[in-house]
Formats: sequence, C-alpha cells, structure tokens
Amino acid sequence: MIDLTVNGQPHRLDAEPDMPLLWALRDLLNLTGTKYGCGIAQCGACTVHLDGQPARSCQTTLGELAGRKVTTIEGLHPEGAHPVQLAWVAEQVPQCGFCQSGQIMSAAAMLAEKPQPSDADIDAAMAGHICRCGTYQRIRAAIHHAAAKT
Amino acid sequence: MQRRTLLQAGIATLVVPLAPASAQPAPPAVITAAAANSPNGGPGQITAFLRIGQDGLVDFASPVTEMGQGTHTAHAMIVADELDVPLSAVRVTAGQPEPALRLQPVGEMYSGASFGIRFWHDRIRRAAAQARMALTSAAAERLGAPVGELTTAEGRVLHATSGRSLSYGELVDLAARLPLDDQPRIKPAAERRLTGRAAPRADIPAKTRGAAIYGHDVKLPGMAYAVARLSPVFGAELESFDRASLAGLRGLIDVVPLPNGVAVVAENTWAAMQGAQRITLRFKPTPDQALDSAELIRRLQAGLAAPEAFRGKNDGDIEATLRGAAKGVEATYTAPYLAHAPMETENATVQIQGDRVDVWCSTQHQDWCIRDAARVAGVPRENVRIHTPMTGGGFGRRLVTTIVEQATTVAKAINRPVKLIWTREEEFAQSYWRPAFAARIQAALDAQGKVVGLNLRAAGQSVMGDYRPALFAGPLRGNDPFSLQSISDTRYRFGAFRAEWHRIQAAPKVWLWRSVGSSQYGFFLESFLDEVALAANKDPLALRQELLAHDPRALTVLNTAAREGGWGTPAPAGRHRGLAYVECYGTLCAQVAEISVTGREIRVHKVTVAVDCGDVVNTDTVAAQMQGAVVWGLSAMAAEHITLKDGAAVERNFDTYPILRINQAPQVDTHIIRSGQPLGGIGEPGVPPLAPAVCNAIFAATGRRLRSLPLVDQGLHV
Ligand code: FES
Ligand code: FES
Repeated sequence: MIDLTVNGQPHRLDAEPDMPLLWALRDLLNLTGTKYGCGIAQCGACTVHLDGQPARSCQTTLGELAGRKVTTIEGLHPEGAHPVQLAWVAEQVPQCGFCQSGQIMSAAAMLAEKPQPSDADIDAAMAGHICRCGTYQRIRAAIHHAAAKT
Repeated sequence: MQRRTLLQAGIATLVVPLAPASAQPAPPAVITAAAANSPNGGPGQITAFLRIGQDGLVDFASPVTEMGQGTHTAHAMIVADELDVPLSAVRVTAGQPEPALRLQPVGEMYSGASFGIRFWHDRIRRAAAQARMALTSAAAERLGAPVGELTTAEGRVLHATSGRSLSYGELVDLAARLPLDDQPRIKPAAERRLTGRAAPRADIPAKTRGAAIYGHDVKLPGMAYAVARLSPVFGAELESFDRASLAGLRGLIDVVPLPNGVAVVAENTWAAMQGAQRITLRFKPTPDQALDSAELIRRLQAGLAAPEAFRGKNDGDIEATLRGAAKGVEATYTAPYLAHAPMETENATVQIQGDRVDVWCSTQHQDWCIRDAARVAGVPRENVRIHTPMTGGGFGRRLVTTIVEQATTVAKAINRPVKLIWTREEEFAQSYWRPAFAARIQAALDAQGKVVGLNLRAAGQSVMGDYRPALFAGPLRGNDPFSLQSISDTRYRFGAFRAEWHRIQAAPKVWLWRSVGSSQYGFFLESFLDEVALAANKDPLALRQELLAHDPRALTVLNTAAREGGWGTPAPAGRHRGLAYVECYGTLCAQVAEISVTGREIRVHKVTVAVDCGDVVNTDTVAAQMQGAVVWGLSAMAAEHITLKDGAAVERNFDTYPILRINQAPQVDTHIIRSGQPLGGIGEPGVPPLAPAVCNAIFAATGRRLRSLPLVDQGLHV
C-alpha cells in the first residue's frame, strides 16, 4: 500500500512502488488530464507539480512520493481559472491540446518563481515540452499575457 | 437508418421520426459521457446533421474529427450563422457514419485532404438553412402568420407585426415533421454574422483544465488495459511468443497473439507496458528484412534512371527543348521518410456485447474503424458504433485503423472491454510514414534567360497504391493522385513540361503525412527554381512572377508574401531571406523566411505567410494553422527522418526523432487573402513552402544549396 496526496486529497493505493506516478494518476485515480507522450522524459506531456516544482510523472515512481504533495492539471485551480489557464484561453493556445496540461503546469511553476519572465526564461522553462501542433508562438504570448495580469 | 434524413450530394429529404435513442443505448462509460453520445439520432432531429433540443440547444453531428485543426468550431460558426442561434448554443461532436456524413465521391466518413471546410461548408450551410426554414414554417402554423412576415434571430422565430415569438425549442417537434425545402434560402455573405471573422474555439477551455477526453482517457466499467508489442520489421509475422517470460508480472491478465505481434493485457497500463517490453517474441522471416537506408537510396536512384514511369504531364517536346537550350540547369533532390508522431499515440477501446460492438477511437476514418471492428468481431457493420473522442493530433496518421483491428481481436479473446494503446516506440516503429523521395529536375533557359522547359523525374513509393490498387489497373496505370502533387497541377508555365514518377517498392508502409506529396515536391521544385533564378541571373521573386504572369490570383499571393516579408528591402543586419510558393488542396500559399546563420547554427526568426483559401470561416483558425504548419515544416526539415537498419526504423522515440521546440520556433505573421474563389483547405497548405523558403534563405546567407533533408544530416542545426 502506498500513501500519497494528490490535489490535496490523501489516497492509499494498492500498487507496485515502481509504478510511475503517471499511470497511477491516469488508471488508478481517473485523473486523465496528465498525459502519456513518450515515457522517457522527452516530451513533458506528463508534467505535474511535486511540492510546487514541475516534475515528469513518467519518471517519478510511487515509491518516491511518501510525504510529498502532487498537484495535477485538475488541481491547479478549483475552477480551472488559474491565470495561466485563463491566458491559455485568451490567447487561444491549444490545437489538439494533448500537450497542453503539461505546458500549463510548467508555465505555472515558472511564473510562480519568475512573475515577469523574459523570452529567454520562457525558452529555458518550456523547451522540455513538445507541441506537435506547433502552438509555441501562442504559448509564449500566453505566458506574457499571464505575467502582465499578475 | 432508412428513416433518417439523407442529405447527400445536396439533395435532402426529411424522414422522421428517428429510431428512439433507447433502442441502442450507448454503454455506460465511466468518463466517456461526451464521447458516448452521438449527436445524430434521437428526437428533435431536423436534418442528418442537426438535432435541436426543447432547451433550444443545437447538437451538430460533424462529419469531421476534431484533432486540433479547429473544424468543429468552424462548423458551429456556419450552423449558428445560418440557423440564427448564438454560437454558444451549438454543440459539435463527430457523428456516426451515414450517407449524409460521408465524403464523396469515395463514400466514406473520414477527415482528410483538408476537406473539413472546403467540402462541407456549403452542405452544412444548406442543412442549417433548411432547418431554419422548417422552424419558420412551424412558427407560421403555430402563430397563424404568413411565413413572409416571420424573421429569425437568437434561436427564435419572430412575428414583428404582432410582437409574438416562439423559441426553436418550442417549435422543434412540429418542425421535425415538416418537409424540408429543397432549395433553402442561403444567406448571402453580407447577412453572415459569424463566419469570416475570428471566433474562440469551443474545445479550448476544457483543454486547459485537463478535462477533454481523448482516446487515451476512455475508461469503461470492467475494462482491461492492453499494450501492443509488434514486429519492428515490416511484414514479419508472429511465429511464437513465450508466455513464461512474463511469470510473476503483477496484474497480468492475458497475452493475445496478433498477426504481427502480441497484446499484453493487464489490470493497468503500466503492467501491460512492462509485459510488452519483457515478453520474448519470435517472428517468421520476411523478404525485405535486410532493408536499410543505403538500399532504399539505391532503389530511389534506380527509379530515377528506370525506363518506365508514370507520366503525369507531357506538354511540348521536352527532349528537343533541353537539347536546344541556351543554358541548362540540373539538380537532384532527396527527402527522407518522416513520421507523423501525433502527441497521442495510437489507441482504441472496444466493447463487445453480444452482437453489438462499440468502438472508441481517436480516428480520422470512422468508416474504416467500423469495417475493421465488424470483420474481426464477425458482426454486420450496422452493429458497430464508433465514438470519436477528442483526438490528440492526426496529420494523416489516424487514417489508418490497424489499431481497431487489434483492439477488437483482444476484446474478443478476453471477453472483456479493453483499451489498447501503442507505446511511443511502437508508434514510431509501425511506419505509415511520409515516403522517402528523390527527384531529378532539369530546366532549359533561352538566350534571354527565360525558362522554356522543365523536366522532372521522381522516384518513391506510392501512398495510395496499397489501398486503392484500382489506380494501378486501368488505362491511367500508376495514377496515384499524390505521386506528382503540386507538380503536374502547378500554375507555373514552363513551356515544354514533363513530369514523371517511378514507383519503387519497399516493405515499410507509406501514407498520408500532412500535405502528402506536396511536402517533398514543394522542397524540390521551389529550391530548384532558386537555382534556375541564379543561373538566369534573376531575382527569385522576379523569376516566379514571370512564370505566373498569366495568373493574377497566384501573383497576388506571391506578391503579398513578398511585400509583407520585406522582399527587395534591406534585411536587418545579419539576416537573410528566402521565398517559396506552393499550391495544394485548393489553397495557394507563399512564405518569406527570414533567418540568420552563425557557423552551423541556423536561426529562423520570422516567417511571413500569405494564404488564399478562397474564403475564410474562422480567421483565427487560419492563423493558428499557419503557425502550426510552419513549425511542422521547420521541425521536419531541421532534424526529422526515419532511417532503416535491418528492416526496421532506427528512430523510436523523441530522443532520436527530435521535434522542434519553443526555443527554435519562429514568429509567424499570416496575411489572409480573400479571393472569393472556391474554398481551399487550410490544415496542410502551410507546410510545403516552409522548407524551400528556409533553404533559399540559407543559400542567400551562405551560398550553400541544400538538396537533401534534414539539415542535421548536412551538419546544420536549427
Ligand atoms: S511522457 Fe513523460 S516526458 Fe513524455
Ligand atoms: S496542442 Fe497538439 S501537441 Fe500541443
């Protein structure tokens, strides 16, 4: 049995400690906003927050999570109205949307540390993410948009 | 089915009422409520596409899959506009295949060839107009007022004279029983409130909350999870597998053999993935199992020299023109295999209950999903329902439905609903790539430097050959419509012009990759035209203007990109420009790339796009598609390629098949030209001009002509 806290809720899971958090979220907890894209830390689609820091849930095993707080896209804001989420709507960022939970989680974590990021800051924080639809221009605009609102 | 409205080839008849929804209930889904509800069928249906509820909400059964290209919002805009309801009142879901929702002339429901608007716009507008008129007639009956005195707005029919009005919700039951007008009044452009402007995408808010349900996210009660492990060598069949190699795997349910591998079935995805990775498989030998990239290149080269070829164009006497030329230009270009790599890997969920089959699949081809599920399950096609959830990118990849065949095989074998997914590694390994191509191009110039002839011989696999073998049977032997796309139908006038394609054979399957044949031919021809301009001592824009002098529409596109991209004006210090123009899917697109080069590093700063797709439904979607297409094109030219070794793909994940990232992405400025010509597509035409525009800019910067992609193979990095 593994105890973990996700989006403020404690959970006890009957799972192997080597199971990546990604699959526990998706299959065991029905939190499917976190996506599988590559499984090898290359795409960022699986990004969540661990104690507020962005982390690749495909590379984080349940065994590492004792006493740590996991936040997923579903828990970023109770109404889905985090400034980054609002900016993503305002700038009409997503196309297929499959990468966007991860993009938003990384953007939100970056803005928490650097409320007024430069383009270079954005590159550094977001270059771990792939968007196959090519929404990068709007991601950049939306991050600036969110920064301007805070 | 007989009682449904048929709205095919523009002929509509109203047939009511529909089979009650309860006759074939969708299975209860844990998190698939939206996907399980098919909008065509049920009470309140006015045309095959439209159902209006008592609450006035309009359900639109789209014939197209929403995979990020924004078509569902565009469809909602067309419906809301013509029906006179607020945009927010229209809910769009991909429908069930039925005649009205099938693309003609093929007669199948699929999303391809950038048809989402260009094929459907008029048909959807017509259906909505018919519905509006039926509602108006119903109001005339209820209010006892002549139709001519009634108007529609905001989901109501109004009678100004008496001040009375009725909502569509109040009228729908009666309207659904009235005959549809065969010649409905379609609103002229001046009366359209929504289309032709920017509208926010209806699917975006859920996508920012992690709430959109994709194929990967489907979950049914009692569902098992399966992961496929397949032969990486194309055409190799499974000989045996060793179940014992999975001993001790917690959560393992079963191993189901497939023609070219197995599906490992477990209680969760992780267990299934581990099993798929661990299991030992043996495959039968197959003829092309030693194929590698060097051999593929030999086949392409042999194809360039082969005596036989399909001749797509043969105007004038090209041989004599080349012989008599004052100056000749010749070059050979190559392009690699490319993977689609949509962010959501292939997946399908299948539930078999008696002789009824339900399939959930992020698919571009609903009819083939049904065909494959029915065949494997051994039921008639009418017993299969296809639910199309949100789709994590398509780009042509999801016009293949092998995954449905496999998932149905598994569901049948384990007697339980199952979701089968491919790992990223399988997604790359299982081919259906953009074919590798080569082309030799020759141009003849006269003494004044005018182009008087062009000869192109290409070699590559056939995209359609395996699926529509009839193309290779009749008198037009070898007429794969993509084999000389954007070449045999070019607007350029070269004088004598021959274009030929030799079909090569190789085991990997090839398929429709965003912009298909135009993706390699744009690179080949538009790069080559800059070589011709150099030989003729002409500006690349001036050369193209000469070749398009007879065509004002094309000139406008070309000149708009040139003007907006600063062509002919000094570039900022250290920057260089390149230009290209390609037409495909009925849309003309020109791009100017502005780059700088530092050593081996290429930086693409800005791409200016001019695009003429006839008319526009959602201007913001056009801009988004151009941004995405530029990134797609730049990603491919920078570092994407599939290489082969021992009959299999070397690149199996994003570490070896790198996709362009935010720090490499240029600014894209889009200029939309509304020519009023027939509608063209918008998902694909932004791709082909990018690579040649950038290569032409690299030539301007360095004097180095790049004739083979990707750049990384030439020692250059983006
Ligand atoms: S799935 Fe974790 S980084 Fe791609
Ligand atoms: S929006 Fe499709 S992958 Fe990013």
